[in-house]
Amino acid sequence: MGQFLQFAINGLMSGAIYALIALGIVAIYKATRVVNFAHGYVIMIGAYLYYTFAVLLPAAPWFPDLLFTPAWLVEAKASAQMFSPEAAWLAWLEKLPRIVFGLICAIIGSALLARLIERFLMRPLLGQSNFAMIMITVGLISVLSGAKSMIWTGDAASVPHLAPNPALRFEVFGSKVFIFGANLVSMGLALLIFAAIVIWLRRSSSGVAMRAASEDQSTAYSMGISVPRVFANAWVLAAATGAIAGAILAARDGVSPALGLFGFSVLAIVLMGGLDSFVGVFISAMAVGILEALAQWQLGGDWVEITPYVAVLIVILIRPHGLLGQKEIERI
Amino acid sequence: MLKVEDIQLSFGGVRALQGVSFEASPGEITGIIGPNGAGKTSLFNVISGFYKPDTGRVRVEGQDVSALKPDARAALGIARTFQNIALFRGMTVLDNIKLGCHTRLNANVWSALRYFGSAQKEELELRRDLEERVIDFLEIDHVRKAPITALPYGLQKRVELGRALAMKPKLLLLDEPVAGMNREETADMARFILDVQEQFGTTILLVEHDMHMVMDICSQVVVLNFGQQIAQGTPAEIAQSQAVIDAYLGQAA
Repeated sequence: MGQFLQFAINGLMSGAIYALIALGIVAIYKATRVVNFAHGYVIMIGAYLYYTFAVLLPAAPWFPDLLFTPAWLVEAKASAQMFSPEAAWLAWLEKLPRIVFGLICAIIGSALLARLIERFLMRPLLGQSNFAMIMITVGLISVLSGAKSMIWTGDAASVPHLAPNPALRFEVFGSKVFIFGANLVSMGLALLIFAAIVIWLRRSSSGVAMRAASEDQSTAYSMGISVPRVFANAWVLAAATGAIAGAILAARDGVSPALGLFGFSVLAIVLMGGLDSFVGVFISAMAVGILEALAQWQLGGDWVEITPYVAVLIVILIRPHGLLGQKEIERI
Repeated sequence: MLKVEDIQLSFGGVRALQGVSFEASPGEITGIIGPNGAGKTSLFNVISGFYKPDTGRVRVEGQDVSALKPDARAALGIARTFQNIALFRGMTVLDNIKLGCHTRLNANVWSALRYFGSAQKEELELRRDLEERVIDFLEIDHVRKAPITALPYGLQKRVELGRALAMKPKLLLLDEPVAGMNREETADMARFILDVQEQFGTTILLVEHDMHMVMDICSQVVVLNFGQQIAQGTPAEIAQSQAVIDAYLGQAA
């Protein structure tokens, strides 16, 4: 039981990050009916931006010493016991200014990138077949990964966690459970963002505008909804949440070009949940996260890669539109 | 009120509209008729801003709106319904109608936070206005919470009219509002359209194949055939026009 709980919690934590990534794919699909194959690479750029502004730039000799560490912190850190919770907190506090600076810059940079993509690659194709736009996102994969190699080196590097990372131990039902603090905070952050966006879609007028545009672009347009603005908002939303996901992933796995591939596994999760349903995608992200963890536990590491995706395939075979996706009924 | 000047529109080799010009007088119903493929819906799309004509201008109350996007034209008070019902099927009747007020709600997240009271007042006023001017008016009170897909066809058409009315339009474009309706439903819809004109003084442009209805409620009729404007005048004049009779019945050899 204790083991099961431990793995289930691990699963929920990676599921939350899947959900955060999936959010961007769903937002763009809902607004524009385009499946963004390049979302993983947008996230990768977000992660590299975080790396640049949180690690590379503050280390540069010419960088103004704004993100300094007060002397007392350095002393406290030196005297704290290694691997103790205090050391983890102090290590985080020391880097906090850089983390905040890095995250904000990564979000802004990614949002700018998304605006550019939307304005210059997507909008000129408005009114053309969606297939053309989808192919553009496929092309974008090469452009983004090429740009990444031109700007940054291919070496994997590590970046600071967004949150303090002490190891937390709990006693649940008489068994010990062990969680890393940063993972817990990441999960909370992902859940919070997800909930905020679902509420925003239901309640705010710009959210309703996005729902209307997703159902029928030309009608929404004639109702006075600026459809191009809805498109731009969706791309910016996707890139901003992607930057946060990228920073979380980079802190967990290290910044490397492999982050881009992550988008593809999340695409399968999105298909399972239903391309146009935030709630469905959330459920499937959590389910895949847990399945992965349980496969790891029962079947071993070799099975982690395929077990969840076999489940995804089965779900899609039974429900082609995903768990909660909207069926398109065509009148013949 | 609405002035269309020498509109030319072509898609590749197809000349959909060739020099269409007319003026719709304020507060009146202007009918646009013509055989299938005559360019009626294309003309609507030009007026509401979906198609950009090759030449020609569209003026509303003297203002040249030719360069405006559809959403900006909606904000100026041009509302339309579509030939195939274009309601948001995932939403209820009330949600659909409320969406019509999208252009009229000024409060966004920031202003709503700052002036919570005023946003609330705005919303309340809008609600009252909608109740009286749209829901009671069109007699759709009993279905307000119903999902669109649960409604019969005639009622869906009425909800679509309601959504357009929620925009408080100055100019209302109706694209075949009674297509596929039986006699009774058609009479109901004609009555609603006349009521809209009478009570709100809305200028209405009506594309319709039902000749009885067009002749009954329009004060002016424009006839298109293969993109050309072949006649314009009162219903009585149109009924006498040889060009119109030829277009509809074919020319005698």
